[in-house]
Amino acid sequence: MRTKRTKKTLLCIPLYVWAVLFVGLPLLYVLGVSFFARGATWGVTDTLTLSNYRKIFDPTYLKVFGDSLRTAALTCLIVSLISYPFAYCMARAKPAYRTLLMILVMAPFWTSALIRTYGWMILLKANGPLNAFLKWLGVIDRPLKLLYTEGAVLLGFVYTLLPFMILPCYTAIERMDWCTVEAARDLGASPTRAFLTVTLPLTLSGVMSGLTLTFVPSMGMFFLSDLLGGSKTILIGNLIQDQLLRARNTPFGAALAVALLLLTALTLWLQRRTGGETQLF
Amino acid sequence: MKRMLPLLLALLLILPAFAHAQEEKVLNILTWADYVNGPMILEPFERETGIRVNYNYFDSNEEMLIKLQADKAGSYDIVLASDYIIDIARNEGLLLSLDKSLLSNWENIDPVFQCQFYDPENEYTVPYVAGTPLIIYDPAYVTIPITGYNSLWDESLKDSLVIMDDARNVIGITLKAMGYSFNVTDPGELAAAEEKLKGLKPNIRLLDYSTPHQAMISGEATIGYMFTPGVVWALAERPDLMVAYPEEGMGFGIDSLFIPANAPHPQNAHAFLNFLLRPEIAVNIAEQQAYINCNRAADPLLSAEFKSNPALYIPAEILGKTEFIQDVGDAQLLYNDIWTRFKQY
Repeated sequence: MRTKRTKKTLLCIPLYVWAVLFVGLPLLYVLGVSFFARGATWGVTDTLTLSNYRKIFDPTYLKVFGDSLRTAALTCLIVSLISYPFAYCMARAKPAYRTLLMILVMAPFWTSALIRTYGWMILLKANGPLNAFLKWLGVIDRPLKLLYTEGAVLLGFVYTLLPFMILPCYTAIERMDWCTVEAARDLGASPTRAFLTVTLPLTLSGVMSGLTLTFVPSMGMFFLSDLLGGSKTILIGNLIQDQLLRARNTPFGAALAVALLLLTALTLWLQRRTGGETQLF
Repeated sequence: MKRMLPLLLALLLILPAFAHAQEEKVLNILTWADYVNGPMILEPFERETGIRVNYNYFDSNEEMLIKLQADKAGSYDIVLASDYIIDIARNEGLLLSLDKSLLSNWENIDPVFQCQFYDPENEYTVPYVAGTPLIIYDPAYVTIPITGYNSLWDESLKDSLVIMDDARNVIGITLKAMGYSFNVTDPGELAAAEEKLKGLKPNIRLLDYSTPHQAMISGEATIGYMFTPGVVWALAERPDLMVAYPEEGMGFGIDSLFIPANAPHPQNAHAFLNFLLRPEIAVNIAEQQAYINCNRAADPLLSAEFKSNPALYIPAEILGKTEFIQDVGDAQLLYNDIWTRFKQY
C-alpha cells in the first residue's frame, strides 16, 4: 500500500515540476513586475511603487473593466438562453440522435477559434456570402455593414463560448433523475411548474458551471474584438496586450493581468460558494 | 567526476575563443516573418558562402528588444528592425560597431538614408528599406478632394476609414493636422489633439495594424491611411484606387539591419550585410518587400513598374520635409491614455 502511494507521488512529480516552472514562476514574475516603475524608454526601473495598481482606478481604465464585464455578462445571458433549451432537447433526444448532436457541438473544437473567427469575417464581409444572399433576396440593395460592429463582436463571443455552456447543462440535465419530474406531474403540477420547481433547481449546478466557463474566458479573448470589431473598442484583454506589446508599459500590463487574475479567482470562488459543479477542475 | 567538473567548465569557457578564429558556418537572423526573401536572397547567399541561415521571428519591434535583452548568451547575428527601436537598443548598448573594412559595398548605400537619429555617426546600421505612410482612397466613393490628414475628418467619410491600430501613428497625424510635430510631448498640445481625435472616431470603419490593405481591396473601407506595403498591395489588386501625399508633412520610417554586440558569428554577419548591399540583391529587396529602395547602385536596375508606383517612387520635392516617429519617453503614457479613451468614445 505504501509503495503504491510512493509510486503515485513519483508519477505526479513531472506534473508538479511543470506547474511550478511554467505556471507558478511566470505568475510570480508578473506579480513582481507589477510593483516596479516603468522605465522612461524601456523596461522597468528599480523603484518599487503601487502606482500601477492606482492607475487601474483611473476612470479611463476602470471603464475598460466595466465594458469588459458588461460584454461578458451580455455574452453569458445570450449563451445561457440558447444553450439551456438546446441541452434540454439534446438530453431528451433518442440516443442515436444525441450522439449526432454531441458531435455537432464538439466539431468546432477541431479547428482553432482564431481560424473560425476568420470564417465569420468572410461570412460577414461587405462582399461576402451573407450580403450577397440578402441582395439576391431583394431585402437590401446596398451591402449592410455587418462586420466591425458591436453586434459582430457579441456574435463572435456567443459563437465561441456556446459549447462551454451546452456541455455542463447537458451533463446536469442528462444526469437528473426524471422520476422526480414525473412525481411532480403526478401530484398535479403543470409542465411549467414542474420545470420551474424541479428540473431547473436540480440542474442549476450545470448552469453555474457553464456560466463560469463562459464568463472567465470572455474576459480575456482579445482577438474577437480585434478581428470582428475592427479594434474600435477596448476590452481588458486588448488593454493588457496593448500595454505589453505596443505601449511599452510592462508594469501596468502586469498589474492589469494581476487584477484580471483576481477577478477570475473571485468568479471561481463565487461559483463554488453557490454550489456549482465541484468537479469543474 | 567531481574533480573533472571545473576542468569541463574551463573547457567550455575556452571553446568559444577557438570558435571565434574559425567561425561556424551559421548565421542567425532575427526579424519579422517573410521579411527577408528565401529564394531571392537567403538561398543565393547560402549557396555562395556555404553559411546556413537560421531565420528567427518576432511579431513587433518591442518583442525584438525583449528577446535581445533576455539573450545574454548571444544567439543572434543579424537583427532587422525599425528606426525608433534601434535607437533604444543602441542606447542600451546592444549594438556592435560595424567593421567597414569587411563591407566593400558600403558606398552603395544612398546617403539620404544614413546618419539618422538612431545612428548619427553611421557606425552601427545598414538601411534595409524605407517607407512613408500614405492616404489611399476609392474615387468611386470618395467625392471630396483628398489633400492631407485634415481631409480624413470630413463628414462625408462617415464609417469608411481604415487606419493602423497604433497610438503613435494615429495621434501623430492628428498632431500633424494641427500643425504640430509627430513627437509632441507637451500635455497641453496632446490634450488639444485628443479633442480633435474624438472627431475622427465616427469616420473609422476599422483599425488594423498589419493587414489594412485587405479592407481597401474588399471595399469594406473606402479610404485608408497605411504603411507603404499596404498601399502597394492594395494598388496591385485595385488599380482604380488613388494615392494622396499628405500636404501637412509625411511620416517616414527606415528599417535597418544591425549586428548585436554579443553576436556569435560577427564575421558571417558582415558577409551577409555586404551581400545585401550588392545592387542586384538590393533591387530584389525593394521590389519583393514593396518598400522604398535605399541602395543607390540598385536604382538603375529598378523596373519601370516600380518606378511608376506612386507609393514606392516619390520625387524628393514631393516627399519634402519628412519626420520620423521617435521615442517620446514618459510622454508615451499620455499617448496610451489618449488611445484607450479614443477607443471608448
